[in-house]
Amino acid sequence: MKKENKVFKDLQKAFNTGVSYMLPAVVVGGIFLATALATGTATDAGMEVTNPFMKNLLDLGIAGFSMMIPLLSGYIAYSMAGKPGIAPGMILGYVANNPIGESQVKTGFLGAMIVGIAVGYVVKWCKTWKVPATIRTIMPILIVPVFTTFVVGLVYIYIIAVPIGAGMNWLVSVLGEMQGGSAIVLGLIIGAMTAIDMGGPINKTATAFTLALMAEGIYAPNGAHRIAVAIPPLAMAISTFIDRKKYTSEDKDLGISAFFMGLIGITEGAIPFAVKDIKRVLPAIIIGSAVGGALGMANGVEALVPHGGLIILPVVNGKLWYFLAMMIGTLVSVAILHFTKPNLVEETQGKNNEFKTNSEDTEIVK
Amino acid sequence: MKVVAVTACPTGVAHTYMAQEAIEKECRKRGYEVKVETQGSMGIENELEQEEVDAADVVILAVAISIEGEDRFEEKMDAGKVIQIDPGEVIKHPADLLDKAEKL
Repeated sequence: MKKENKVFKDLQKAFNTGVSYMLPAVVVGGIFLATALATGTATDAGMEVTNPFMKNLLDLGIAGFSMMIPLLSGYIAYSMAGKPGIAPGMILGYVANNPIGESQVKTGFLGAMIVGIAVGYVVKWCKTWKVPATIRTIMPILIVPVFTTFVVGLVYIYIIAVPIGAGMNWLVSVLGEMQGGSAIVLGLIIGAMTAIDMGGPINKTATAFTLALMAEGIYAPNGAHRIAVAIPPLAMAISTFIDRKKYTSEDKDLGISAFFMGLIGITEGAIPFAVKDIKRVLPAIIIGSAVGGALGMANGVEALVPHGGLIILPVVNGKLWYFLAMMIGTLVSVAILHFTKPNLVEETQGKNNEFKTNSEDTEIVK
Repeated sequence: MKVVAVTACPTGVAHTYMAQEAIEKECRKRGYEVKVETQGSMGIENELEQEEVDAADVVILAVAISIEGEDRFEEKMDAGKVIQIDPGEVIKHPADLLDKAEKL
C-alpha cells in the first residue's frame, strides 16, 4: 500500500504546485473584472461595461482569468515531469478551457487538472526512452511536446471531453441554482472545511472547489469560503481581548497578530491557539466558520478574488452581509470559547497558594 | 549539527514563513547551525548554495509543492539525510521534527 500512498502524495503535490502558480492570475483576473464590472450598468444581459477605459480593464481581467487554467495544468505537469511538461500542459489546459471538437465541449477546471496529470505521466514516460545521442537533443523541443500534445490531445478530444463536459455543466447548474436550504448546507460545509485544518489540505480542497466554481462564473461558494477563512484568527484574537483570564501573556500577543491576520484572511493565525488547546478551539472555530459560511450563502454574498478577510471588501458583492456574516461567525466562536475555556490558574510569585481551579485541565503536582 | 531546510507552500505567504521561523527557532534552542531557504509566492529567498547543502548534516524539505533546484539535494537524498514533511506539520510540531532529524 506504500506505493499507492506515494502516488497519492505526488498527485497532491502536483495540484498544490499548479494552484500555487495559478493564484496570481486568478487575483489579477478577479480584481480587474470586479473593478470594471462595478462601473457597469445592469442590463438584462448582465453587467455591461461601456466606459472605454473600464472596458480595457475588463479585457485585462478576462485575460487574467483565461490564463489561470493553462497555468494550473502547465504547472501540474511541471511538478510531475519537470520543465518539458510545461508547454504541453499549458497548451492542453487552454484546450480544456475552450470549446473544442465537434460537440464544442468545454471541461474547465476539472478537465485542466486531468490533462495536467495526463501530460505529467506521458512526459515522465518519454523521459525514460532510450534514444541515440543525436535524437536526444531534439527530444525536449520537438519530440516530447509534439508526441505528448498529440496523444493527450486526441484522447482528450475524443474520449474525455464529452463526459467531463457534461459533469461540469451539471455541477455548475446545480450549484448555480442553489437557493435557500441547500445553499445554506453548502455554506455550512465550506465553512467547516475551511476551519478544520486552518490552511491545511482540507482547507485547500475547499479553496480548490471554490476556485473551480469561480472559473465557471459562480462566486457565492468563494464568498462563503472567504468569510470562513477570516473567522478562526479573528475569533481567537477577540477571545484573547475579551476573556483575558483564559490566556497567557504570550497568547495575548499572538492574539494581536492573529487579529491582523484575520483582517487579511490568513486562517493560519489560529494555528498556535489550536495547537495549545485543540479540543476547545477546533470545535469553536469550525462552528463559527460554518455559521459564517452559511450566512454568506444565504444572503448571496460573492467574493471575486481568491483571498479573504476584510481587506477584499472592495471586490465583494454583498458587502454588508459579508461583513455581518464574518462578525456573527466570529462572535459565535468567541461565545463557544467563552463557555468552554477555563480560566487559567492564578499564580503569584513564590509562596504557597490555594489553587482555584474549575477544570480538569490543570494538573496540580502534589 | 548543521541543518539546512527549504520551506514552500501553495499560497506562499503564510505557512512558508511560519515554517521557516519554527525551524529556525527550534534549531537555535538546540544550538544547531541552521539556514532556511523559502520558496514563497515571491520566489526564492535566502537561497542555499550547493556547498551549504553538502556541508549540512540534515536536510529538511518542508514543502507542499514542487520546488526549484531539487537536484541540489540529490546526494543527500541518496544518503538518507533528507526529511520531507508538510509545512503545516512543522509549524505544529517542530520539536518532533528536530528529534527525527537528530536520529538520522
